[in-house]
Amino acid sequence: MSLSTTAAGGRPSWTLSTLSGLLKNERALMAILALFVGVLSILPLGRLVYAAFVTSAGFELSRIADVLGGRRVFEATVNTIWISLSATALATLAGTIAALLVGASDMRGRTAWVFGFVLPLMIPPQVIALAWIQAFSPASPIMSLLGITLQPGMRHPLYSASGIVLLLGLYNAPLVFLAVRANLRRVPADLVEAARAVGATPLSATIGVILPLIRGGIFAGAALAFVSSIGNFGIQAMLGIPARVPTLITLIYRQLNAYGPSALNDMALLALLLAVLTILGMGLAGLLGRMGDQRVDGASRPFKFPLSRFHLPVTALAWGYLLFALALPLSALAASALVRGYGQPLTLETLTFENFSNAIFHHEGIREAFFTSLWLTGLAVAILIPTSVALGYFLSWRKGVTPRLLYLSSQLAYALPGIIIGVAMILFFLKPLPVLGTSLYGTIWVILAAYLSNFLALALQPILGGFAQIERSLDEAAQVVGAGIFRRLRDIILPVLAPAAAASAILVFMTAINEIQTSVLLVSSRAQTIGPMIIFLEEAGSSTLAAAVGCLMVIVILALMLVSLTFARRLPQGVLPWHD
Amino acid sequence: MKLSMLALATLSTLAFTAAHAEETITLYTSQPPEQAQQTVDAFEAANPDIKVNWTRNGTSALMNVMRAEIEAGNIQPDVLLVADPINLGTLKAEGHLMAYPEAPVDGYDKAAYDKDMTFFGTKAITTGIAYNTEIAEPVESWNDLLVEDNRGMIAVPSPLYSGAALNHLHALINTPEIGWEFYEGLNDLDVVPEGGNGPATKAVASGMAKYAIIVDANTLRAKADGSPVDYIAPQEGVSFIGEPVAIMSTTDHEEAAKKFVDFLLSKEGQELVSAQGNIPLLPGVAAPEGYPDLSSMKLIGYDVDEAVKNNDQVREQFAEIFGL
Repeated sequence: MSLSTTAAGGRPSWTLSTLSGLLKNERALMAILALFVGVLSILPLGRLVYAAFVTSAGFELSRIADVLGGRRVFEATVNTIWISLSATALATLAGTIAALLVGASDMRGRTAWVFGFVLPLMIPPQVIALAWIQAFSPASPIMSLLGITLQPGMRHPLYSASGIVLLLGLYNAPLVFLAVRANLRRVPADLVEAARAVGATPLSATIGVILPLIRGGIFAGAALAFVSSIGNFGIQAMLGIPARVPTLITLIYRQLNAYGPSALNDMALLALLLAVLTILGMGLAGLLGRMGDQRVDGASRPFKFPLSRFHLPVTALAWGYLLFALALPLSALAASALVRGYGQPLTLETLTFENFSNAIFHHEGIREAFFTSLWLTGLAVAILIPTSVALGYFLSWRKGVTPRLLYLSSQLAYALPGIIIGVAMILFFLKPLPVLGTSLYGTIWVILAAYLSNFLALALQPILGGFAQIERSLDEAAQVVGAGIFRRLRDIILPVLAPAAAASAILVFMTAINEIQTSVLLVSSRAQTIGPMIIFLEEAGSSTLAAAVGCLMVIVILALMLVSLTFARRLPQGVLPWHD
Repeated sequence: MKLSMLALATLSTLAFTAAHAEETITLYTSQPPEQAQQTVDAFEAANPDIKVNWTRNGTSALMNVMRAEIEAGNIQPDVLLVADPINLGTLKAEGHLMAYPEAPVDGYDKAAYDKDMTFFGTKAITTGIAYNTEIAEPVESWNDLLVEDNRGMIAVPSPLYSGAALNHLHALINTPEIGWEFYEGLNDLDVVPEGGNGPATKAVASGMAKYAIIVDANTLRAKADGSPVDYIAPQEGVSFIGEPVAIMSTTDHEEAAKKFVDFLLSKEGQELVSAQGNIPLLPGVAAPEGYPDLSSMKLIGYDVDEAVKNNDQVREQFAEIFGL
């Protein structure tokens, strides 16, 4: 796979024409892709596995036993498992009901409701957590407006394991919703109508006919929810650290905070444990999902059960849920951002925009972090989209072992919690680079590397969908007349693929601008991203400022989502999660 | 005419750029974000040609970031303004701090700065007990906290994160009537030290904790904001830190860094300290209103050189007690 084998040998010097001749070659492109995924995903993760087992003192079984057998690690592992499982159950329940409401009933106002239901998924988890904390804090502006106060001396109800489960469950419900809704679209209407014809009520038809048919979607959604729960640093850190409910992910973060790089080997070991749990969860859900009924692929017209006399109560419940899950915490967040001191009630006298003006104009660090996140995310998108198009080409039309391997590694890097990628990147980039002689650690480039590694699979997904819809003969015809791979990618494939590529760009952008777990271990004075800023502000006790930054992030996300809706019709269906 | 205007504009742009030949120094600090921004703003106003790029985190957390930077051969800060003398003492012992013998320490008590002129105290911060006046009674002694009623209701910052808490740990374990037993007692009451002074202040102010072992300024600021909290200096005494400033030996901006130190030690810098709600160290600059007089409290000191030597072991024992 080395580059030199593909170079036209024997030429005296490297000229532009040799270079382009080299690049025309598909094998060269493949080699570049292999290098990309190899350096960004395979090697760092390999380094992580190595560091987990081998320290400067060599391979010591006793150290591994010590770390994994410690009281804290055991407690954190048990917490991680049961919290993620419970949150998954909650998310699956809420997401499936929501999908049935939207996909199988004639509930009105669906477009707006779907937007509201999916919105939390787009808001950074640490902002969601902060909003909920403010909503239920003893000094909550909302609570005092409503005349409710928690008794002093009571612990904050959300600073508990069940608080984490609740928030993770609500946060991940849209993931299940999306998977189930996609599956519902493929349920043949005649099957449902047949059941109705023999007298089944909507409820029994749903339980007896629809649920078994969408089982695969439910389990796929549950798997997503589980992986997302296990790796959700924002919620686990904001609630779990003050609640003293250690989970693996917060344990890793706190070890780096408390012990620095001397703890890197132990952190790698814990990261590996977390990775094993993630992969086990995915495998199990995949197994259960495959046991579902597969006869759902026929094209079909949609069916809708009439809600008739239940219309009002069902609609009221559905919107009540949004009020509870979205409006309450977000309004509390806004109210906290609008007072000067934490815990002050929001009145006309205490109302101030000081926190917002501080966040926007005064705290240079916050503004810079915002811009750093923006351009870093933009750059990641600019690199990932062409890379995914090229990789998608090989995966769809040039099947082989290497692309398959690259695909699997990118999937792994995406599925693993971002904090694991963070640890891997520190391990891999901490020491000065061999050729350049300088270390990338503490610079923006490590974060970019982590983004590229973490989000390649995300960018790839819609693009693979796009490839599936292209007529391959076009490409073959071009190949016959001698068009090189780059020419074909540019002139033939890219124009047809544009909508899928746009969708993939939007997804990556929204995910990366929100992210916290990937960069939380990598940020430094020269390289701050906006996601971890809220945790740092909160840790420093600047709650009202943190709330203001949270509000600003929500506003930016909302604006992006609304802008994307204006051209949603031109994108393939189901690509923008917030569009019905 | 137009051409000369253009030339003039170009020239003035050049002159402007030259006058603002900015030098940027990097500051690592453990001050709360708002205070850090105020300090940087005031310094930049006094030195318009120097820009300060700052990062805030708990002192111990910052030190761990620096450990990684040292390992990567890439130390970023030029100046440190962090909580405690132990971490600075460790850095000094390893040769990471630059001596600044000409630092303007006239008028300062000799105890306020390092005898080798590598770090300089900028303010006095004591750590005592804050209590929620609505749900808790004031106590007189540290050991009074260790009663069953307080199970899980004491907020304690972690020495693994906060420099003030690390300093406090060293002070208490070197006080015979308190010692490690105090921390073991906290653990028996399900109290787990966590994070820094900010969240602990929030916990006691919001009533999630009855007591908090935190610094005076946080408590008194919350009290001034209307939170139901008050500050106690227990009879055995309170620990104290000087939030020292130091210049890294690796700095490329020696002159600018020295100006930063000069500013913090100047009368203006000390008045800012007072305005921010901390007790200034320069005699003649008044402490903020409503603050207890330093001379009315018993201050617990300890041998810093000794603490630097056994710091790793102390942290380990601490982590051991709380199973961290």
